[in-house]
Amino acid sequence: MDIITVEHLKKEFEYYRKADGLKGSMKNLFRRETLTKEAVKDISFRVKKGEILALLGPNGAGKTTTLKVLSGILFPTAGRVEIDGFIPWERKNAFKRRFSIVMGQKNQLWWDLPASDSFYLNKCIFDVDDGEYRKTVEELAELLDVKDLMNVQVRRLSLGERMKMEILASLIHRPRILFLDEPTIGLDILSQQKIRDFLRYYNEQTKTTIILTSHYMRDIEELCSRAVIINQGQLVYDGQLADLGHLMGDSKLLTLMGTRNLKKEQLAPYGRVRELAGARAVLEVPRPALKETASAILSTLPVQDFTVTDIPLEESIALMFQKEVTTV
Amino acid sequence: MNPYRCVFQMGIEKSLEYRANFFLSLASAVFPIIIQTFLWNYLYGNADAGAVTGYSYQQIIVYTLLASMVSKLVGAGFETQINEDIKLGGLNKYLVKPVGYCRYQFFSFLGEKLPQLAILLLVAAGLVAFSVAFLGLELSAVRILAFLAALVLALVLNFFIFYCVALLSFWLTDVNLMFGTISVVLVVVSGGIFPMDIFGEKLAAFIGLLPFSYTTQFPVNIINGKLSWMQVGSGVLCQVFWIVLFGALGFGMWKKGLKRFAAVGG
Repeated sequence: MDIITVEHLKKEFEYYRKADGLKGSMKNLFRRETLTKEAVKDISFRVKKGEILALLGPNGAGKTTTLKVLSGILFPTAGRVEIDGFIPWERKNAFKRRFSIVMGQKNQLWWDLPASDSFYLNKCIFDVDDGEYRKTVEELAELLDVKDLMNVQVRRLSLGERMKMEILASLIHRPRILFLDEPTIGLDILSQQKIRDFLRYYNEQTKTTIILTSHYMRDIEELCSRAVIINQGQLVYDGQLADLGHLMGDSKLLTLMGTRNLKKEQLAPYGRVRELAGARAVLEVPRPALKETASAILSTLPVQDFTVTDIPLEESIALMFQKEVTTV
Repeated sequence: MNPYRCVFQMGIEKSLEYRANFFLSLASAVFPIIIQTFLWNYLYGNADAGAVTGYSYQQIIVYTLLASMVSKLVGAGFETQINEDIKLGGLNKYLVKPVGYCRYQFFSFLGEKLPQLAILLLVAAGLVAFSVAFLGLELSAVRILAFLAALVLALVLNFFIFYCVALLSFWLTDVNLMFGTISVVLVVVSGGIFPMDIFGEKLAAFIGLLPFSYTTQFPVNIINGKLSWMQVGSGVLCQVFWIVLFGALGFGMWKKGLKRFAAVGG
């Protein structure tokens, strides 16, 4: 069952152009040129109940704008959005009780007070029953490993700890839908992993529908099976994450460690040379030819060690966008 | 618990968290009071200043002592927060929750004021006792009650005035600097430093038409016996009038501003 339907969503912003320097500023005082920026052009997608969907795209692609429209913060210029039977920008209280949004770069907790106070405030705002509230906080604090930090002022917490608290606060009212905008941004690897583990477990247990944007491919690879990719406000891909690799080039990366310096002429016949630094080289090799190529290299070249990896997803996406840009 | 009661209590907690800050600001009020007291002593000692200003020596000293207290008490201070919320998108977190922004800010403001109120009233009570003992101030229980009532209304009025000023952030991107100027001007026109009606009747009448004197000058003049009961009554009505007006203005500005915010984004 679809819990989120987005059809032909469009969002334009007006802004002013200012010419460089003081002269431009003076000119602006009298006449300003109004420009329209289409942050989101024509996006349609659906999300099933209990699904974790990745919203991918480079900076400025329109990910955050889309999430803001979905949570009712922004009015769209055109298009239809329906979430669990509600139209977000009508901002009905019943709708606000169904979802939560966590923005990695924005703070929702009271800075000067312990996080537990903000939790309690959310309990009051969303009118959560006492017993249920205690149970939720206890359980989530255990899972997120923040039990001992409940009474520490938010401003004294580390970035990772604060993020865990933000997520906990957003779940006090047990929303059916959760929007996460860059929840792991700026965190160390361990904290990122902890948050990922938590989100996966929470999704499995509660069947909460999650839309996630992130810069870290690990987040997305570990959590989501389906991805929607937008670029320059347009939808460029909607499908299984697993198929994405095939779509964007069926190659593998072969990293070689030579016993002495490798030369480009030696490597070129086996595949595209991506990097070459002394005895270390990275080759891009078509997947079907991988086995043969690897054994041929090992038998002919002075190579002592090699590893095979996938092309990183973010690189593939960037590649795909470049194709997009060149065809436009 | 009602969410606004919860916000109110958190405001109290926050205020207690910053108690040192508050005591320092209180201490900083001492110096202007001393300077002004010397000034008035000099003026009243050398000429018939009372005939010019319309305040007796005792009234003007009581005014000086209390005005800075009242001014501190009704002072807003949340306008930078609202400006940041609007400019940097902090507003989002309120929009996605079933709460009213104005009510939220109002109760948080009241909560933050409560501990300050307790301390300021203690200090003010000390100052009033001093005035009664040494300056011959005449005081009645009714006057004290009227003062307290006017003080509460002044607090609410100043909240709405500054709420409206803060909401200008929807249209002007960087009003933070303006806030500094506005609050200095407002402290002066509201009589937070000296009474505005010492400059003659015309100016006094003009000031009476503006809302600002009802935040500071009016409550202080109740306690120093400057106002007749008639004037106290009409003053309270004026306070209520301005509260309703600024409340409605704030409501309208919020609705319009929010539409703009939802269109241009935070």
